[in-house]
Amino acid sequence: MSSQNVSRRFFLSTSIATGGGLLIGYSLSSSGLLGEVVRASRGSKPTADSQIPLNAWIRISPNDEVTLISSQSEMGQGIMTTLPAVLAEELGADWTRVKVEFSTVAPAYRNPRINWQFTGNSESTTGFFELMRTMGASAREMLLTAAANRWRVKAEECYAENGRIFHKLTGRTLKFGEIAEDAAKVSPPQNPKLKPQSEWKLLGRSLPRVELASKLNGTAIFGLDFVLPGMVYAAAMQSPIHGGSLSSFERESAMNLPGVIDVVPISNGLAVVASQYWQARQALKSLKVSFDGGPNSTVSTDGLMKQYRDALEGNSWKTVRTAGDALGEKEIAAKHDFFSQEYESQFMAHATMEPMNCTAYVTNDSCTIWGPLQGPELAKLTLAGMLKLPPEKISVNRTLLGGGFGRRLLVDFVVQAALVSKAVGKPVKVVWSREEDMQHDVYRPATLNHITAGLDKSGKPLAIAHKVVSPSILQFVYPPAVTEENDPSCLEGLMETHYEIPSQRVDFKLLKVGVPTSVLRTTGYGPNIFAVESFIDELAFKVKQDPYDFRRRLLKDERSLKVLETLVEKSEWRKPLPKGVARGMAYTEAFRTHTAHVVELSVKDNLIQIHRIVCVIDCGVALDPDITKNSIEGGAVWGLGVAFKSNISFKDGRTVESNFHNYQIAQMDETPPIEVHIVNSSTKGLGGTGEVGPVTLVPAVANAIFAATGKRYRSLPLSRHGLKLT
Amino acid sequence: MKKVSFILNGKSTSLETDPDKPLLWVLREEIGLTGTKYGCGMAICGCCTVHLEGDAIRSCVTPVSRVEGKRVTTIEGLSADLSHPVQRAWMEIQVPQCGYCQPGQMMSAACLLAQNPKPTDSDITDAMSGNLCRCGTYQRVRRAIHRAAEIGAEKGARG
Repeated sequence: MSSQNVSRRFFLSTSIATGGGLLIGYSLSSSGLLGEVVRASRGSKPTADSQIPLNAWIRISPNDEVTLISSQSEMGQGIMTTLPAVLAEELGADWTRVKVEFSTVAPAYRNPRINWQFTGNSESTTGFFELMRTMGASAREMLLTAAANRWRVKAEECYAENGRIFHKLTGRTLKFGEIAEDAAKVSPPQNPKLKPQSEWKLLGRSLPRVELASKLNGTAIFGLDFVLPGMVYAAAMQSPIHGGSLSSFERESAMNLPGVIDVVPISNGLAVVASQYWQARQALKSLKVSFDGGPNSTVSTDGLMKQYRDALEGNSWKTVRTAGDALGEKEIAAKHDFFSQEYESQFMAHATMEPMNCTAYVTNDSCTIWGPLQGPELAKLTLAGMLKLPPEKISVNRTLLGGGFGRRLLVDFVVQAALVSKAVGKPVKVVWSREEDMQHDVYRPATLNHITAGLDKSGKPLAIAHKVVSPSILQFVYPPAVTEENDPSCLEGLMETHYEIPSQRVDFKLLKVGVPTSVLRTTGYGPNIFAVESFIDELAFKVKQDPYDFRRRLLKDERSLKVLETLVEKSEWRKPLPKGVARGMAYTEAFRTHTAHVVELSVKDNLIQIHRIVCVIDCGVALDPDITKNSIEGGAVWGLGVAFKSNISFKDGRTVESNFHNYQIAQMDETPPIEVHIVNSSTKGLGGTGEVGPVTLVPAVANAIFAATGKRYRSLPLSRHGLKLT
Repeated sequence: MKKVSFILNGKSTSLETDPDKPLLWVLREEIGLTGTKYGCGMAICGCCTVHLEGDAIRSCVTPVSRVEGKRVTTIEGLSADLSHPVQRAWMEIQVPQCGYCQPGQMMSAACLLAQNPKPTDSDITDAMSGNLCRCGTYQRVRRAIHRAAEIGAEKGARG
């Protein structure tokens, strides 16, 4: 989800909140299609009378409890801890008296970069860090002013710490709760003073996740766990052929079964509604239903890959990047000693552990939903349009997410829930079976990369040319960025390389395919960096240089070098390995974070044993180092699945894989020790850490296998070559 | 419909239900204990793991009739106040990311530790490889099991 021309302008504004206090929030200049379409109400409403809002993000109760608002959805990335910690840091709050709530959908809670409320693209921290600091500092100054006024002293003589305001000279103190009401009447400062990093008490250290306890005793509420009084359940079935439609069903065959309330046709399928989910699911199984397959009935993986091949060998390219002479493949071949290779990444499913589900209650004039959502604003906008209701009549509430990985930016399952609720006039929870979830995912598209480099006599690359073939990634989640010929997400990792190669060129073919494709953890970076970092390794071998030395000679960027040097040190890259054991490495910048992996493994027949994974990242500053490490460790495990196992295939217009037996992810027995080392550079260069984890792991695996065996594998997953993790 | 009675988290429980209905859905939507999760419905992912007479089982493929008269423990029964060594270790090591699979991971771990108070790495691998985690927290799960074993030993030593 790369940035296109979107406005970064925003300004502080004030408005009277319904709660009586002053509400400050960033009023965002509308830009882009989505900004123009969405006109949601500004600001938030306090949910309890006793909570005094200081701004859209901070409420304080008379008993000193501080409620901090999380605009971002929690799917394991720890954002409902990290961003509120930024607010609390600036506010001077007592972290043990902090509560976190998810926000409503409102302009105040949009990511300032694209003026849109969503959780994705690994940009919650980068997008909100400055805003959270400003909001926290602004509320702190309001508290200080109010306390100073009460004491008749100067605000500069006061400071906030641990939920109290202190007057330095007299040692007087006031608890936040004692002064909150006065503070709410103070005009929010235009340019509040931010705490220097050296004074941070909460940031830069590891905090317990705010929702941790609930995840350890079964009380955490995911979408599937949310219950409303009078709620009924729906089991959904969509056309097994992608893009097909419902043709007929025998309603009566289901209506006599226990608990069944209704059978509701929905746009591309139907849902059986019953008092309990199990009843709905059983009735759905026995329901006689037929579908019209539509135009995609013959789509297969082989056919799709032929489409890719034809595109790669065809002439229909859009040149999306040029630097220096921007030589193409043929020009490089004519001019230089050249080397060309091709790499292929596979289709993949999100396979969140919590299957798609959503709870909706639609009445004649309102719609309320509760669900595990990454795209609450898209949900609101879509529901308003579909139900022909004004946006203010749509209320969107979020639960915890049992994994997101981009799948829950889409709102297909939300729309279903609303349509079914509308049909039966009751609150309904729609639940997808695992099979439905896997066969109606919106997949990470396969990608075909062709790379050509021209080298000088010393083995230094002078020119590089990429050809990329991929279906769209952003089409459903951020359509304004996609044109007939271009989708910036498909090009991630190719447009901004740190390798200093004078002539660079990227040509792209945006493919139209008969299967649904969208964002999945690592988006374009995953396939593109697998290709680039495998290719760089191949070049190093061709010119007989060490893979680290070869990369180092091409890099000037300080952060790149620091990360690679740290990697070499921590992985003991120079240290000889026992016979049969080999190492591979890969480096890149992705999602604004510099990342590099070394994988150490041995190969016996077709069995690969990984002994050790070392990762170094520079994400600017790790605001919560343990949460960051957990994400990067998990990213490596995700990457092992990508490298070795996970694969979605298509036959007769349908997805072949249906559950975890044939769509496999890495297991504990395949997970080696993973070390994560963090290089802190500066808060000016904050990067994301949710998606970056697998990016360099995958090519590092391929490079290590080459180092061990001399065999180069250029297509994924490696199971297609008979390789297995052990 | 049939009456089924069993001991759930130490309490006698009876209900009229479809005897073929998986224990998972009885727990979740008839008893209201939603800590046990649905992940695959085929006993592959381990999200629905509970204890039946102290053994870790997959509740998504266990007909409720099978637990008649037996003891069932769910994540809610491990302890509400997070005092069980597995919960304490999970807290200390901050194992979860999204957390959806963790009740199943913890129930498998608690069963392993009850039967093998000081498991080796390979014991842990054997016991836990059927519990999938899409966030990839396996390394922390392993660490936390070792830590829970220590906590359990300290607790035992103090009697």
